[in-house]
Amino acid sequence: MPCPPKPRLLLLLPTATYRATAFVEAARRLDVELTVASELPSTFEQAQPDRLLTLDFSDPERAAQQAYQFARTHPIAGVTGVDDTAAVVAAAIAERLGLKGNSVSAALAARDKHIQRSELARRGVPVPRFERHGLDEDVPELAARTRYPCVLKPLRLSASRGVIRADDPPGFVAAFARLQQILEQPEVAACGAWTRYVLVEDFVPGPEVALEGLVIEGRIHVLGLFDKPDPLDGPFFEETIYLTPSRFSEPARQDIVGCGQAAVAALGLWEGPIHAELRYNATGPWLIELAARPIGGRCSAVLRFTAGEGGRGNALASLEELIIRHALGMPLPALEREERAAGVMMIPVPGAGVLRDVRGIAEARAVPLVEDVVITAHLGQALVPWPEGSRYPGFIFARGETPEAVEAALRAAHRRLAFVIG
Amino acid sequence: MDVAEIRITAEPIDNARCKFLVSLPVHSGGVRRFSSSEAAQGSPLAEALFAIPGAEVTEVIVSGNLVTVVKRSAAPWQAIGKSVGAAIRSVLASGHAAVAPKPAAAAAPSGVDDDALYDRVAELFDAQVNPMVARHGGRVELIDVQDAVVMLRMAGGCQGCGMADVTLRQGIEAMLQEAVPEVKGIVDITDHTAGTNPYFAAAKK
Repeated sequence: MPCPPKPRLLLLLPTATYRATAFVEAARRLDVELTVASELPSTFEQAQPDRLLTLDFSDPERAAQQAYQFARTHPIAGVTGVDDTAAVVAAAIAERLGLKGNSVSAALAARDKHIQRSELARRGVPVPRFERHGLDEDVPELAARTRYPCVLKPLRLSASRGVIRADDPPGFVAAFARLQQILEQPEVAACGAWTRYVLVEDFVPGPEVALEGLVIEGRIHVLGLFDKPDPLDGPFFEETIYLTPSRFSEPARQDIVGCGQAAVAALGLWEGPIHAELRYNATGPWLIELAARPIGGRCSAVLRFTAGEGGRGNALASLEELIIRHALGMPLPALEREERAAGVMMIPVPGAGVLRDVRGIAEARAVPLVEDVVITAHLGQALVPWPEGSRYPGFIFARGETPEAVEAALRAAHRRLAFVIG
Repeated sequence: MDVAEIRITAEPIDNARCKFLVSLPVHSGGVRRFSSSEAAQGSPLAEALFAIPGAEVTEVIVSGNLVTVVKRSAAPWQAIGKSVGAAIRSVLASGHAAVAPKPAAAAAPSGVDDDALYDRVAELFDAQVNPMVARHGGRVELIDVQDAVVMLRMAGGCQGCGMADVTLRQGIEAMLQEAVPEVKGIVDITDHTAGTNPYFAAAKK
């Protein structure tokens, strides 16, 4: 009897992603047919037209039509996008092909901070007070009537690029000018009309957490709740350490997950991974960002799940395996994170300049509980600090019995690294 | 030799595979691949790696300064990696050859002639693979074929490229499956962290 065909996953991978290896290797482990679609062509696309595809990520409807044409000869069983832009394209393709996924409107709402704030506020989800302003507005006048402290944000850039806190009118004017410079860089300005606007919102004090989840029929299944032990008080918002499990109390964790669930419902997200960032203070949780994609960078390596039923024996499943299984309708494991504490440090940019050398990697790896130190910046690469930059030079991973021990290991490993910048 | 002088950096690919970059040459006679503890007999490093308790090592590949270890156990590389490092240091400090030279004209257990496969893969690389990756400033070097497993190294724009795994699995491996179906697998022994001019650099979430 002939074997039934393997299900085909259409994986939307932007060429600037950190995520290619994690997703491609997960697809291999699950033995699914994989077609990788990017916004720029692979040099092998003509030779392997069933495995590689170019889609117009800047035009989701056009990309959906391209995927539809492809699917006529190569049936697609599931689609997933790995970043904010690809998540919208994946939604358009899912709608066009009748696959599991989010609606385009929901994915767009998760993509654009102004649309997102508007929808969440309208549905009663706690978000900072916000206003959208054009780059051509009278900035001193805006500065005079803004409530402080505030945060200025681009509507769509990721990794906190361009996000700046201002504490007074002079600070507002300076922050506005700096963000405007970022938005007017040619490669950014070409991204669309949203680059002509700035979101100004109240600064919400309090510690920040990240909620990683898989949405199934509109309901969040929590995959991880991360504390961010380094204060994110500005003026810029480069992230550093994520630790799980969270050290918040059980009632606080329930509040946070409840807020995330309310946000998912408000935006109409229905299927697929989500990554939310929230603050928690005396008034409870505040939804800061909700993205219809998994955690970014190399950070997903910190999450491992007990395989359980539907999994692979006693092995641990990766986040990417769960996402692919879900997209293809394959049996899911228990969605329970392993019991040990885990953490990742997004290594801070040590300064502006060209990376000449990284020393101390072996010493950092030798720190007890540290599992790996990955330097993703290459020698000769220009390092750009936040808010203009958005690329971490690397990542440190650790696992241990308690979040405290993991945090200490991450910091100890980081202290052993020395970046030589020329 | 003082083992403290030997620096080893681990570069996990996933929970099953990890590359160990050693500050000294481990084996200068090309690539050696060991797919079982029996095949490792006579090669002290490979014997030691297969014997690591709890690791369930299934494959060892040694080339130049690079040792690639494949394991079956779910144990994290954090624990296994330290045993691998100790084995490498111990063997290098002994002054003996870490691995035995590749046997001349060894027939693969599968009966496939690796030398013949090498020639066919080399022809494919020359005629098709390298002209394609050259468009992105890349280059793929065929290092060896052992037991029908192809070992390659990426260079130029491919080395450290964020899409290198897509090129490897969706491009090169797929072409090999079509043109040389006897090939059982493909192993990338590239030190991607040393790439200085990747065609695509990761930059976003």
